[in-house]
Amino acid sequence: MDVTSQQDTDTPPAAPKAARTGKPTSTSALAVHFASRYSVIAIWVAMIAVYAAAEPGVFLTKGTFQTIFGSQQALVFLTMALLCTVCVGEFVDLSVPAVFGFSATILPVLVVEHGWGVWPAAFVAVLGAIVVGVVNGLLVVVVGVNTIVVTLGMGTLVGGIALWLSHLNTVSGLPTGFGKIALYSVGGLPVSFYYGVVLVAGFAYLLACTPLGRHIRFVGANREVSRLSGIRVNRIRFGSFVASGALCGVGAVISVAALGGYNPTTSDTLLLPVFASVFLGTAIVLPGRFNPIGTFIGIYFLATGILGLQLLGLEAWVSSVFYGGVLVAAVTISTLLRRRGP
Amino acid sequence: MTNEAHTVSAGSRTDPPDTAPLHRLEVAELSKAFGSTRALREVHLRIAPGELHGLVGQNGCGKSTLVKILTGVYAPDPGASIAVDGRQLALPVRPMQQREAGVSVVHQNSGLVDDLTVWENVRLGHYRAGRLSRRINRREEQRATERVLARLDRPLDVGRQVGQLSAEDRAVVAIARAVQDHRPGGGLIVFDESTRALGRSARARFFELVRSLVDEGTSVLLISHQLEEVVEATDRVTVLRDGAVVEAGLRTSEVDEVSLTRMMLGRHLVTHGRVGSQVRDKVVASVRGLAVGPVTGLDLDIRRGEILGLTGLIGSGFVETAEALAGARPADVGTLSVHGRDLALDRKRGCTEEFVDAGVAFVPERRLEAGVAGELSVADNLTLPRVRSRGGRLRTGSAWQSEETAAMIAKLDIRPPHPQAPVHTLSGGNQQKVLLGKWLAGAPNLLVLHEPTQAVDVGARHDIIDAIREAARDGCGIVLASIDPVDLAVLCDRVLVFRDGRVAKELSGELEQDAIVHAVFGDDTKPQEEGQSD
Repeated sequence: MDVTSQQDTDTPPAAPKAARTGKPTSTSALAVHFASRYSVIAIWVAMIAVYAAAEPGVFLTKGTFQTIFGSQQALVFLTMALLCTVCVGEFVDLSVPAVFGFSATILPVLVVEHGWGVWPAAFVAVLGAIVVGVVNGLLVVVVGVNTIVVTLGMGTLVGGIALWLSHLNTVSGLPTGFGKIALYSVGGLPVSFYYGVVLVAGFAYLLACTPLGRHIRFVGANREVSRLSGIRVNRIRFGSFVASGALCGVGAVISVAALGGYNPTTSDTLLLPVFASVFLGTAIVLPGRFNPIGTFIGIYFLATGILGLQLLGLEAWVSSVFYGGVLVAAVTISTLLRRRGP
Repeated sequence: MTNEAHTVSAGSRTDPPDTAPLHRLEVAELSKAFGSTRALREVHLRIAPGELHGLVGQNGCGKSTLVKILTGVYAPDPGASIAVDGRQLALPVRPMQQREAGVSVVHQNSGLVDDLTVWENVRLGHYRAGRLSRRINRREEQRATERVLARLDRPLDVGRQVGQLSAEDRAVVAIARAVQDHRPGGGLIVFDESTRALGRSARARFFELVRSLVDEGTSVLLISHQLEEVVEATDRVTVLRDGAVVEAGLRTSEVDEVSLTRMMLGRHLVTHGRVGSQVRDKVVASVRGLAVGPVTGLDLDIRRGEILGLTGLIGSGFVETAEALAGARPADVGTLSVHGRDLALDRKRGCTEEFVDAGVAFVPERRLEAGVAGELSVADNLTLPRVRSRGGRLRTGSAWQSEETAAMIAKLDIRPPHPQAPVHTLSGGNQQKVLLGKWLAGAPNLLVLHEPTQAVDVGARHDIIDAIREAARDGCGIVLASIDPVDLAVLCDRVLVFRDGRVAKELSGELEQDAIVHAVFGDDTKPQEEGQSD
C-alpha cells in the first residue's frame, strides 16, 4: 500500500538539527568550557599567591607544603568512600565518618586493651567497617529504606559503640613500628599520601575505563535505563555500600597507624570536610559530575585555604566557616553547572 | 441549547472582541514547547455557554497539555490568552483564579481519594475552618455536600467511603465536586477521559446528568478516546492533530466516527509506503501462556524478519504485553523462548541481564526516563549493553567502541555526529536514534519497540523506519507496540488489536490505517468495512 500523500513533499531532514553540537565553538564558549573545569584550580593558585604575599616567610615553606599534603589521608579515604555511593546515585551517606571512627577505635582497643597483634586487629577493624556497609546496603537496597535515615541511624549507632569501646577516651599506645605503614617518608611526604594517590587514580580508572565503571556511571545517571540495559542495578548499589565500608576501614587503619591511637569523639568533625570536598570536586575537571580526581584536588584546596587562614592568625573556628562556606558554594556552583548543561 | 450565534469556522478567528461574553471559554494563540518539541501550536478553542464540546485527537496530539495549561500545571508560551465569560485569566493560570472563574476539571481516574468519604472528597480543598478552633465543621460540610448532590438530583450517603461506591456513583461524586462552586447555569467542567471506567449503562446515566447540567447553561468540554460517545453526546467537536487545531467547533451532527478518525490522522504524516514482507519461516521467539495486567493466556509466535504490531486503547493490555516480552515488566506467568533459550517472564527480580544476553532488546516509550541516560555521551549510551560482553574485565576497550559508535552514527544519521556529545543536547529524534542504535548495534534476535517514532521530526522518522526494516531484513523478529496507525500500517506484517486484555482482532496483509483505527476505537457492535481483517 502506498499511502496517498497530500502535503508530503518528502523534505529531507533539514536545518534546525545542526544547531547544537557537543563541542564548544566560539571563543567565549571555549572560555566557559575551560573556566568550568579549571576555575577552582585557578582560585587555588591565587589563594597560594595571596597567602605567600601576606605571610611570605611562613607560608611558602617546605613545612607548610608537608603539612598540607601529609595530613589529609583520612579525608582522601573518606571522600572516596562517600563517592562510592554518591556515584551510583545514593545521595547522602551520612555514616561515613562514624564508620571510619568505629574501625579506628576497634584497632587500638583490641591491641592496647586486649593484647591482640596489630595485624589481626587491623583485619577485624576493616571487617567491622565492611559489616556496617553490608547492613547499610541491605537496608537501603534490599529493604528500600531511605538512605539518609538508614545512614544517619547507623552512623550514630556505630559512633556510640565506638565511644563505649573506648570509654570516651583516647585509646593510644600502638607499637611505633606499625606507624611505619603510614609514616614512612618517601620524597618528603609520608607514604600514606601515595596510598591516597593510588586509590584516587585507581578509582578514576575504574570509573572511566572498565565495564564496571561504565555500569556504575549509568546506575548513577539513570537506574531505569540501566536496568533495561541488562545491568544488575541492585547488585551494584549494594556493592557500593560494601566498598564504601571497606574504604572507611582501610582508611581508619592507616590513620590510626599514623596517629598511634584514636579518640572517637573526633569522628564527627570529619563529616563536613568530606561533603565539602566531594561537592567541591564536582566543580573540577568534570563539571557537574562527581569524580575522584576533582575531589582529590578539592581536599587539598580546602587544606590550603584553612592552613593559610590559620597562619594568618585566625583560630580554629575558621575551619568550620571555611568548610561550611565552601560546601554551600560548591553545591550551588554544581547545581548551576548541571542546570546550564554543557 | 444556546450555541447558535457563532458557527465558528477554522478561518474566522478575527471576530471583533465584542463577541467575548458569548464564549464561556475562549482560548487563543495558545502554544507550548517542551525543548525542541512543540506540544501545542497556536491553538484556538471556543466554547459557548450551555454547550457540550468534544475534543478529540490521537495520543500525543496535545490534549492533555491543553488541560494542564487550563489547570495551571504548565505555563503556556508567551502570547496566549485564555478568557472565561469574557474575562482574561492571568497566565499561568492560578488554581484560585481558575476556581473563581468557574472552571473545574474531572481527571481520568476522577481524582477521588478512595479512603475518604463522599463529603470529604467533595469538599476537599473547600473546607471551611472554624474561626477560632480552625476545626472543620463536619456537619456543615456534609450539608453542603448534600445540597450539591440534591442539585444534581443524585442523592448519595455522604458518609460512605468513596472506594465502596460503584463507578457510576464515583462519577457523580466527581461531578459534584466539580460543580459545587458554579452558580447554576454557569461554569465550565472539563472531563479529561473521565468516562473510561464507566460501563455502558452507567455511561448513559452519566451523560444524562451531564446533559441536564448543560441544559441549565453550564458548559462542558469532553475529552475522550471513545469517538462513539463524542459523536452521540456532544454538540460540537474540535480536532487536534500534532498540537494544532485541524477542525474547530465542527457541528457534531455533521460528522461521524469515520470522518473524525480521518481528521485526527491527517495524511501529511506519511513518509513512505510499505515494502514487501520480509518474513521467513523460522520462528525466532515464542510466548506461551502470558498473563500480565489485563492479559491472560496469551500465546504469540514471532518469525524471523517479521514485524508484529500490537495496538489497542490504553489499558487494553498491548503495552503491558510488549513490556513483559522485553523483561521490563514482571508478568504474572508466562515463558518466552528466544532463539532456543527459555526465559521465565514471571520474574521477581527486575534485572534484564538474561534477556539482553538472549538477544532481546527493548526500546521503551519514555526515552529520557527509561531509554538513554541524557547526561552521558552518545558513545557511552550506544555501547552500554555490550561493555560487559565485548570488553575485558579491566578494560572496556576503545577500538570496538569507536567502531560501533561510528557505524551507528553513520547508519542512523545521528546529528551532530559527535560521539562525546551528551545525549540530552541532541534533538528528540536524534535521542531516539541513539536509543535504537544502542540495541541495533548488538544485532538482536527480538526487538521490542514501544512508540519508536513518538515526538520525532519527519527526517528522523524516516531514518528510524528504514533502520527497523533493515533489522527485519537481517532476520530480527520485531514487536512494535504503538497507537500510531501510520507506523503500524507502514511497518507491520501483522497487527494484533487488543481490547480488555484479549486480542480482539488480527489484521494482516495490506494494512490500511483506517482499518486499524476502526479496530482500535470502534465497537464490536458496529463492524464496518474492515476488508482486511481475517
